[in-house]
Amino acid sequence: MSQSRYFYWLFLMNSLINIINFVPRELVDTRFKGAQTSILAAVVVGTVFIYLFTALMAKFPGKGVQEIMDTTFPRGITIPLMVIFAALWCAAGLITILSFVDITLRFISPDTGPYLVVIGFLIVVCFCACLDSLTLLYGMEVMLGISVPLILYTLIKAVTNPHFSWDAVLQIITYFPHAPDVKSIAAATFSFSGYINMAVFNRVLPKLRLKHRWILGVQGLAVLLLTFYVPIGYFGTVAVEKHIYTWFSTADSIRINTFLIERMLFIFYFAYLNLSLTSVIIHWHVGKELLTGLFPSGKSPKSKASIWRGPAILGLFSVITLILMRLDQYQLNVLGIWFLHARWGGEFLLIMLLFYCYTVLRRRNP
Amino acid sequence: MPVQQIVEKISVEWIKGQLDHFADLEERMLTAPSGKAGLLYIKSITDPQIINRSIIAPFYEIDNPAVYSEYLNSYPGSEEGKTGKQVLELMLSGYACVHVEGELCFFDALKAETRSVSENMTESVTQGPSDALTENLAVNLNLIRRRYQSAELKMESMVIGNISRTKVAILYDDSRVNHQVLDELRERLGTLRIDILQASGELEKYIRSDKMRIFPKTIVTERPDRVVFNLAEGKIAVLLDTTGFAILLPVIFNDFFVAMDDKIQLPFVGRFLKLLRVAGVAMTLWLPALYVAFASYNPEIVRVQIALLIAGSRATVPYPSFVEVLIMLVMMEFLTEASLRLPRAIGPTATTVGGLILGQAATAAGLVGNFMIILVSAVAISNFMIPLNMMSFSIRVLKYFFIIAAAILGLVGVVVCLVGFTMYLCSQRSFGQPYFRMFFLDSLGTSGKQKGGGH
Repeated sequence: MSQSRYFYWLFLMNSLINIINFVPRELVDTRFKGAQTSILAAVVVGTVFIYLFTALMAKFPGKGVQEIMDTTFPRGITIPLMVIFAALWCAAGLITILSFVDITLRFISPDTGPYLVVIGFLIVVCFCACLDSLTLLYGMEVMLGISVPLILYTLIKAVTNPHFSWDAVLQIITYFPHAPDVKSIAAATFSFSGYINMAVFNRVLPKLRLKHRWILGVQGLAVLLLTFYVPIGYFGTVAVEKHIYTWFSTADSIRINTFLIERMLFIFYFAYLNLSLTSVIIHWHVGKELLTGLFPSGKSPKSKASIWRGPAILGLFSVITLILMRLDQYQLNVLGIWFLHARWGGEFLLIMLLFYCYTVLRRRNP
Repeated sequence: MPVQQIVEKISVEWIKGQLDHFADLEERMLTAPSGKAGLLYIKSITDPQIINRSIIAPFYEIDNPAVYSEYLNSYPGSEEGKTGKQVLELMLSGYACVHVEGELCFFDALKAETRSVSENMTESVTQGPSDALTENLAVNLNLIRRRYQSAELKMESMVIGNISRTKVAILYDDSRVNHQVLDELRERLGTLRIDILQASGELEKYIRSDKMRIFPKTIVTERPDRVVFNLAEGKIAVLLDTTGFAILLPVIFNDFFVAMDDKIQLPFVGRFLKLLRVAGVAMTLWLPALYVAFASYNPEIVRVQIALLIAGSRATVPYPSFVEVLIMLVMMEFLTEASLRLPRAIGPTATTVGGLILGQAATAAGLVGNFMIILVSAVAISNFMIPLNMMSFSIRVLKYFFIIAAAILGLVGVVVCLVGFTMYLCSQRSFGQPYFRMFFLDSLGTSGKQKGGGH
């Protein structure tokens, strides 16, 4: 397999991580009012976005978004744009980390101080996000190799459980014919936004040859449907709305009869902690790269100032995280939903900008 | 012969002056009716057999100084010293200086005291070749060339060390090697300025790029079959005279878990053995940390029976679980270290006493739980499953990081540490090549790429 597999991994990671970022909550909220048509719409929109974005990036081999923008726009425009995008990426990591701290405190170690946990996460994330891009892709692949089998095991265990209520799922399917809801579409497209990390990783993956991009659509659809139906099968069509972290409650309902560990929750938690830390590392790395690119590259890349730029930016991200630790669960949820919508707009904006850059490029050298 | 011009500058007298106070300097005059010849050599590093048979006897047999001089010059291994520095180097490396009618000729008569090819000690296998590299470079090359009969096996040699003048040989398969790595190695060896070089590990220390690191980036091995196997995989071998170990580079993390048995065993068995080793590493790394996490933070994770078992065995233990783990692990390290250094005769005493103290008395006194004893032995045993020593030492150190993380954050700490550790491992490069990633995915789909000793 060639280098292109890393693109698929980026996508896979984002689509799996959606259950941390409040996507199931948003879908469950509209389960009687068009969540399922929204999922279908999101699959279409998401796949179209992937096609557009990868096609555009392919025109700029080996370049990040930063370099592409620099060729077209004056610095006065690129700087605010990059800051906005970096903020979005920072927020993506931030929400994952905050909700995971919440999950940890609620499900795993209620006695440990919240700040101890978040600082533990932040240390490893900041240390890792400073590494070079290729390293992170290798690391992500390894982490997926550890987590995905465990997640698949959880899924199989969940669906084959005799207590899984297929009736509830069938009942919710009867609510299918409803007009899609924009908010739900925005939330559901999060599963598809892994491709957007190529904004930076395109630099280290110049020879990207993407075959079978439709697989991404199918996979995203499968993930979204499972995300949506499995909790309903466990908690019923109405009671499902009472859970904040729907999927963790689901995993907690599954028992393993013949293993050292009895509750599925811990295996699921282990897999998802791995994945979400990796995802935060990737997101913050992208955010960091976007911001460091704004500084004029000095003559010596090893100069003291440029070495400290990355850690300083990550330190800033960490400080924001620590400040936002004061949010309660409700506010965090609101922030998460707000981010899901803003991110959708951001993606659209980025694709438009890239398209503009491409037309300018075509006009310059036809 | 351009020897004549040098005679003015480098005479026998000059050499003798330079090698003043050499009690083992020997000078002899050979006189025959047809002419005279002088012989000068350092007795301790020259072979009297060679001197007798190849220098002195022919002089009397040939009985013609001009022909004798011709004979000396055409003899394989004889050199003509051009500069004073070179002459001294030759004399110090075991050459005998013969002067016939004012002409100086340096005749290789080195006596290299080495042990013969013996059985390997550090990486033993159950089946398969058991000869080890020796301290003699020529013998080592013989061991390797005999196994790798290909015109592509190239060798470069250089001398490192201002005083030790250690001969270094770089071996590689020209058709398979990564030339980028080769150039980097040449550059690093070329810029090396040291006085003494005696061991392969020492050289490895000098040619590394990063000062702070925990994982070995090169394999140091004494098995010629491992050298050959790795040469076929496109790696470079660096061999040193006067040491019985070769350095292999660049390596990846997985290479450290390959024992040479794996190739000899049936494929299925070989894979199983490798899997065992990986499981062993996982156990030695995580068991102590998980014990801390389960005993002190998250007893609810494991089955209720196991949680009760741990708690029950810890009932008499007067301190937190991570202190218990640290005490026992440190005791075990002491024992390992001591049994390594002790003379053979007292070795068993240490293990018996240690085993008794660690196993019986500590639990009876209630200092550690029974469960802990089992765990420590499992950790100790699984740690030594790694075939290459360097890596097994690294892993030995690494487990303490996991214990500390577990002591601070419980299971969360272990997982956080795992993520950090994986990312660190992925960030490592061995001579510019990735050290750790899912290598087997690369070969998936690209078939036909010839691999040396692969299955």
